[in-house]
This record gives sequence, structure tokens and C-alpha cells, in this order.
Amino acid sequence: MESHLISNGIVLVMLFGTAATIWAVRRSRLWSSAFVSLWHRRRLALLVTAVYVGVALLDSVAWVGGDSLGGDTVSLHEARSVIDRVFGGSQEKSYSAPLATTEFYGGRGLRYPGGHWLGTDMIGRDVFYLTLKGARVALLIGGLTSLIAIPLALLFGISAGYFGGRIDDVVFFLMTTLASMPGLLLLIALIMVMGKSTLAVCVALAVTGWVGFCRVSRGETLKLRELEFVSAARALGVSEFQILTRHILPNLMHLVIITFVLMFSGLVLSEAILSWLGIGVDGSWGQMIDQARNELSRDPIVWWNIAASGAALFGLILAVNFVGDALRDVLDPRTVKDEK
Amino acid sequence: MNLKSIHSGARGLGWIALWALALLACNNNPYPATEGDEKVLYSSFREAPRSLDPAVAYDTGAHAITGSVYDTLLEYHYLKRPYELIPGLATNLPSQRPGDPGYTVYRFDLRPGMMYENDPAFALDEPGRTTREIVAADVAFELCRLADPAVNSPVVEPFSNIQGFQDFGQALTQRREDPAFADLPVQDQYASLGGISGVRSVGDHGLEVAVRSDYPQIQYWFAMPFTSPVPWEAVAFYDGQEGRPRFADHPVASGPYRLDQYDRQSRMVLEANPNWYGAMHPEWAAPGAVYPSEGAPGDLEAGLLAPEWVGQSLPFIDRVEFRREKESIPYFNKFLQGYYDAAGVIKESFDQVIDEGGLSEEMAEMGIRLEKGVEPTIFYIGFNLDDETVGRPGGGPARKLRQAMSLVVDSQEYTRIFTNGRGIPAQSPLPPGLFGYDDGYENPYRQVDLERARELMVEAGYPEGIDPATGKPLTLSFDTYDTSAQGMLQYRFFTDAWRQLGINVKVEATNYNQFQEKVRNGAYQIFMWGWVADYPDPENFLFLLWSDLARSKSGGPNTANFMDDRFDALYLSMKSRPNGPERQKEIREMRQILEVERPWIELFHREDYALFQGWLENVKPFGMSFPMTKYRDLDPAARASHREDWNQPVVWPIWVGLALVIVLIVPGVVTFMRERQ
Repeated sequence: MESHLISNGIVLVMLFGTAATIWAVRRSRLWSSAFVSLWHRRRLALLVTAVYVGVALLDSVAWVGGDSLGGDTVSLHEARSVIDRVFGGSQEKSYSAPLATTEFYGGRGLRYPGGHWLGTDMIGRDVFYLTLKGARVALLIGGLTSLIAIPLALLFGISAGYFGGRIDDVVFFLMTTLASMPGLLLLIALIMVMGKSTLAVCVALAVTGWVGFCRVSRGETLKLRELEFVSAARALGVSEFQILTRHILPNLMHLVIITFVLMFSGLVLSEAILSWLGIGVDGSWGQMIDQARNELSRDPIVWWNIAASGAALFGLILAVNFVGDALRDVLDPRTVKDEK
Repeated sequence: MNLKSIHSGARGLGWIALWALALLACNNNPYPATEGDEKVLYSSFREAPRSLDPAVAYDTGAHAITGSVYDTLLEYHYLKRPYELIPGLATNLPSQRPGDPGYTVYRFDLRPGMMYENDPAFALDEPGRTTREIVAADVAFELCRLADPAVNSPVVEPFSNIQGFQDFGQALTQRREDPAFADLPVQDQYASLGGISGVRSVGDHGLEVAVRSDYPQIQYWFAMPFTSPVPWEAVAFYDGQEGRPRFADHPVASGPYRLDQYDRQSRMVLEANPNWYGAMHPEWAAPGAVYPSEGAPGDLEAGLLAPEWVGQSLPFIDRVEFRREKESIPYFNKFLQGYYDAAGVIKESFDQVIDEGGLSEEMAEMGIRLEKGVEPTIFYIGFNLDDETVGRPGGGPARKLRQAMSLVVDSQEYTRIFTNGRGIPAQSPLPPGLFGYDDGYENPYRQVDLERARELMVEAGYPEGIDPATGKPLTLSFDTYDTSAQGMLQYRFFTDAWRQLGINVKVEATNYNQFQEKVRNGAYQIFMWGWVADYPDPENFLFLLWSDLARSKSGGPNTANFMDDRFDALYLSMKSRPNGPERQKEIREMRQILEVERPWIELFHREDYALFQGWLENVKPFGMSFPMTKYRDLDPAARASHREDWNQPVVWPIWVGLALVIVLIVPGVVTFMRERQ
């Protein structure tokens, strides 16, 4: 199947998922009040995050057809996203400063004078366009990696905490082993083994990133299994599987959401570091920063590349962290009680 | 109490004033003041050379020393282009006569009466002796050292064309299995094997070398330090034991300069060698010891043939100081302050120094000169001609495809974006300065012509880039081991150009081992490569396309796997022919074949930009890595006055700083006083 169809499919699934979540949240009094209180606390951060997600979605809906981009006839046969169609195709020859009408070095005229809000890079690509394209990559890395890491951590954490004994020993041994290896080196080694692709980077980040949440969910499960309602269920002869899915898992959900949000920003940052080491994902902000690293020592200085990608990265991480913090406050029963 | 504090304050102020005065008196000159009016050239090095052994040293840093210290039988003419050989230690260029079948014997005659520099090593043979005459046997000894596997010379391959060279190396390895033999001094080991069979010294000053007839390029190797005479005493004496340095750190040689000080961490000093034949026998007026009287066109106008130098004995400069500079920015700043006489153009300040290919106004006002020299290099994109789609199996359509792809790659734009414009667009494999380079030649397939390229795509059977087999754009792969972000931008430049034709070229960046693997298996389509010549002969470029050296056939450097019978025949004939109209004609024909066949898309010849201070004279950039220090001259008086002008101490920041300190302290002191009372 063509990759753009998969991408379109994922967008569709995500939209349905979001609609379903909103419907579920509206039905549950606990969750809807949590969201209202989150909205009141962090309106701006939520809006900024929504903008990033919107851009990423617009960049994920792609189809073949339309006019060629600046004489590039191959693009006629390639799927292009909404972002590509609106912002792509204004290729210049080399560097130009934001909103400039001439090239930065040599001063030759541009094809689209004043049309580049954030200037162009070394080979004349529009920096604003590249920055927008980075949003999808960042969300893909954060989202996909969390989708791999969190279920893994939950599975190990709950089984270790609930069943204890040998299982706990094995899981704990695994966690300590992974935690005692230098994370960055392990990442590099994994990517070298699996080859350089988006999926490989995500898997490597997930493999090194699940330990923290696993420890938390194990501890929480240890606590939950001793509580009265679990003992009651067990005394009534409810099966282990039912206890896990009906009593333990729902009581871990707030942790899952908080971890997802906080882990997400950490993963996007990790990818930037990997890009700087030359093993990141194509088109990410980290890669833009890597490409721009020599530009700062130029004289006169070329700053817009690193500024744009750096600001985009910073904006997303900051917004997501704010949301994560607020989520923790809203969902943690202790803080909720304090407010009342 | 009060009184005391005021007193100490006054003393503090006094100290600051003294300190400021001291600052005014001193300056930032890194050299002893007494050197002001001597003819000393200031240069630098980043890392000390690994070895100064002439048989081993093969990098620019080491050649900066060995090229001045070791003299060679032949050398390059300083001014003439294309490069031309002149006799150095030899009286004439070598005469040639046929030897054993397939071999040509080159006869060199050394000048009698030339001496080595003074060195205690010569007492080894005869107590009290400090020097001795240079004899032909010393060159033969050095050739034996090149063949000696224990010396591990990097240039064994070209010298293997000498008759008996490889046999000598093998025999040496075999005999050394016997410990009694291995313990002998090396000169005795070489002597007991009878030396290399193809190298024979005739009397004290004659040297005959038998070389395969199809390798006349051997002569260029006699202009490099690898073949300079080396006294066996020095190799035996400087063995790195009992406090003696290794021979690799202590040259004993015959060149215009001798190594006076060698501190690998900070400083290397060359000084004029009083025993050099040019200094001892000015009456000889040997070609390598006087300033040339003729040059290339334009040299007269450039002032390189001024009467004050022509015919004068070399060297002009008495001493060369190399100081260690680990970082490029401080080095460049010292150059701007006048404390170095020459500098490369560093990337960080390229746009400050260079303005539209010329010197910026600021630099020109300082009297700094920019010299551009095209290096004997070629950078190119190659096609794997064994490939089904782009190569020979594809026949005429594949050729048209290569021609079309060649027509959209803009070398001018490439150098402008990626090398700061350093490099001239290449029309053929041969760079300027070489025999066979044609200034007026324009390759019709190396012009940018999108229309024509699109027509060719139609003729090749890919209208608008659509591959009829799949109905989609033609997809090719560009194989590389450069995975850096900068590298990706470069490849993006090419793939963007090809996308204009509707060809979707995918960059396959892998690590070096995987890339090597792909090349070994022939699983590559397009690659990018560069070549730097060892010596300025067209053979050293055109051999890259000779079918015998094809990667798929013999693992040779012809990675494009270009195999063309006509080209091969011309190559073999051109290779052993002396420079002349015949050779020119053959090279032109070869060029014609390459022009149409397009195994390469020639990109550019790298250009070296060097900055020289105005007081450094007789500067002509030399494409190869040999120092031409002995031809240079400088004006110490002009240097001294410029240094003074450019290094006026700027004192106002001190006073401003002092004022600021006072402004900051006074209110505090006042408050303190008030509160105490």
C-alpha cells in the first residue's frame, strides 16, 4: 500500500478516536470536570498544542495530482499534503534572510521576493515550510514511541506488581539492567543495528524509555492490590483477568495520561539530540538544527534556520509540559481533594 | 581608622595606574623584538608531522619541512605552467635508452662536489668528519629503503615499475627470517642483496634506473622527497636509542634549508643551509639554485620576473619559523595583526575576506593579496556503467539518459553554494595547469540546458521522466557513505536538479562498510568522487577511466567501470608519449569520447585561496604540496612598520573600565562611611 494512504488512514482513525474520546469524556462526570478544570488552568498551552497537532494533521492528509512544484516534474506523481500544496514550491537557489528580496550572499534577485517569512536555507528551501513540516515528524516520534513504550511498561509493571514473586524478579532484573546502561549509547547501538528509519528510531527510543513508567506502574499496582475493593473482589471469586481490567487498569489511567504527555516532550527532545549525532529522522527539527550548526560561525551570521527550528521545538515542548503539569494537578486525587 | 582606609585606597589606585602604564609599554608581538629586521618567514602548523623520513612523509604538513630540507634530483619550474621539470641535484634531465625488453633505462648525473649539511652522524664512518659528498649510491640507498617492507613507505605501488623493486622487497623479507641477517645494519643488508637489480650507480655520480617503458611518469617521482639522497650514516646513527632521536625526527639532508629546531609541541625552525650547493657554488648558476628568468604568460606583468630577482642566487629568506596554532581563528587573527606572512581563507570569515571572488575592500586596504590557484583535482559524479539502466547494457538510450542528467547539473551554482565559490567548473577530467588542458574547450554536455535535456529524455525513452515499464517516474539511486546533514544538503542539490527532468533519484546513505560492500558487489548506480593528482601528468587523471582498472574487473579505481576499446588504445599510446602535438591530439580524442559517453558528470576543479601579506614577494601559488620557500622574498622593514600600525594598543577600555569600577565602588564606600559614623 502507498505510504500516503496509510498516513491518510491514520489521520482518519485519529479523528474518529478523538471524536470517540470527546463523547466518552462528556459522558463521564469525572473526566469532563477534569477537562474543564484543565481548560481553565492552561488555555494557551492547550491552544498551542492544538495548533501543532492541526499542522501535523494537515501535513498528513496527502493525495496525488495538481500542478508541479517549481518545475519539479517528479512531484506530479507523488502524494503531496495540504501543507506541501500551500507552502511548498517556492524554491530559491541559496540563503535569503527573512522577508528579503535578494539573496543573502551575492545579492542576486529572488524568484519570490519577500515571500519567505523565515528566509531560505542553504539550498534555497523555504524555512517556514520546513518548520511546519517538522511538526508532523515531532508528533509522529512522540506519539508512535509512546504507543510502543506505554503498553510495554504497563504490561510489565502490572504483572510484576500484581503477581509478584518470580515475575517481579524477572521484570525488576530487566529494568535494572536497562537502567544501568548509558541510554544514549544504547540508542545509538540499536539504531545502528536496525538501520536508519523513522520506525527504527521510535523503537529504539521506546526500548530505552519504558523503564521509568514501568517502575511507577509497578509501585501503584502493589498499592492497589492491597486495597479493600480488590480484596473484596478476590474474595468474591472474580477472575484475575477481570480484577486487572476492571479494578487495577482503570485506576492507573490517570498515570498513563500524565506519563504520555510528559514522556512525549522528552522523546521529541531526545530525537533532536539523535539528529545532532547524525542518526535522527529526516525532516525533523533536530535535523534542521544539525544542518544549521555551521551557519552560526559564518560572518555575517545565518540565524533564521536555527532560530526557526529551535523556536518551534521549544514552543511545542513548553506547551506540552504545561499541559502535562496541569494534568497532573487535575488528575491527582490528592490535589483535587485539597482544592475542595 | 579613617585615615588608614584612605591611604590604602590611594595605594590601590597607584597600582592600577602602574599596571595601565605597563600595558602601554608592552605589545602583543609573539616573537623576540630582535627579529624585527631579519628575513624570517613566519608560518604555522597545526599538528607536528608524524614523520620527516622522506621515504614515508606523504602529507602536506610533513612536505612543508621535507620539501625544503631534502633536495631532489629533479624539481618543478617555479613559474612555468603547465608544470615543467628542471634538473635539481642532477646536472640535466635524465637521458633515456632502451634496457631489457619492456624497460627503459633513465640515466641521472649528479653534480660532483655537493655536500650534506653538517651533522655528527657522519663521524660514524670516519671520526671527526661532519659532512661528506652526495653520491649516486645515496639515491640508490633511498630507493632500497622505499622497497624495504620495514620502512613501510606509502608509495611502493608507483615505484614497483622499477625493475627488480618488488623482488628486492620480497628477498629482504625472506632473508630477515634468519636472525643473523636481521641483526645486520640495514645498509649491509641492502648491500648483501646487491641492491635493487634495476638501480645501478655508475661511478660516484652516475645513476641508472630501469623502469617499465610504459611508465615515463616515474620522472615526476624524482621531483619528490621520496627519492632524495639519504646518507646511510644518518639512518644508522639516528635509531632512537641512547638519547639519539629517530631518523624520522632528525633529517640529515642536502636541501636549501636545514632543520634547526624541532619541538613537536610548539615550534619548528628552518634555517638556510650553508652547505647547500646553491650557497657553496653560486658560480654554477644551477637551474634549481637561481631565480628563473622566464615564466608563464602574465608573470612579467605580475612582477614575478623583476630584475631584482632574476638570476639571483637562492634562497632569499634566511629562516622559516613554524609556530604551532591549534585553532584556525586565533591563527587568522595573528595573520591580520601581521604576525604570520601567509594564511588560508578560513570558512568562518570567508565573507569578511572575500567579496565576489575578489578580496574585500578592508583586506585590500591592508595590502593583503589573494592568490587563487587551481589544484590538480577533479570532483565528479560517476555512473556505474555496468548498471542495466544507466550503463552500457542500456545502450544508446542509457547514454542519452546520462547526457540529459549531465545537462542539468550546474557546477557553477554548486561551487557557489557549497565551497564558497572555490572551484572552477570542470569541462573534462583534466584540470588547468596540466598538459592537455584546453582553456577554450566547452563541453556541450556540461552546459546547463534544461530544454535540450528534456528532449534527450524523450529520445532516451523516458518522456517527462516516465519509465514506460512502470508508468511512474524513473527511479535511480545515488549511493554514498556521507550521512552528515551537510552531505544530505549536497545530494539534495543534485537530486533537485534531476527532478526537473522527472527523474526520482533517491539518496542511499549508508555507513562506509556497507558502501564498500555495495561497490564490491557492483550494486550502485550513481556516486560522487574526487581525485587529487600525485603528479601533473594527464595520465594521472585519464587512468581513472582505463578499462584494465575497472572496479568490476580488477578492483581498480575506475569505479565508473568505463570500458571503451578506442579510449583504451588512445590511453596506452598517450601514456608513454612525450608532451607534444601528437599527445595533445590523442588527449583531445579521448576527451571527445568522454564527452559523448558521459561516464562522469565532471563537477569542478578545487581552487585554493591563499592570502599573503604585501611584504611577501615572489608569490606564485603552486598547486602541489611542495613548499617553494626558496624562491620567496620578503621586506622586513615594511613588515615591521605595518605591524606597528596594526597593533596600536587600544587603551580607552581600560579607562572606561576603571571609571565604571569607581562609579560602582564610590556609592558603596560612601554608604559604608556614613553608616559607620
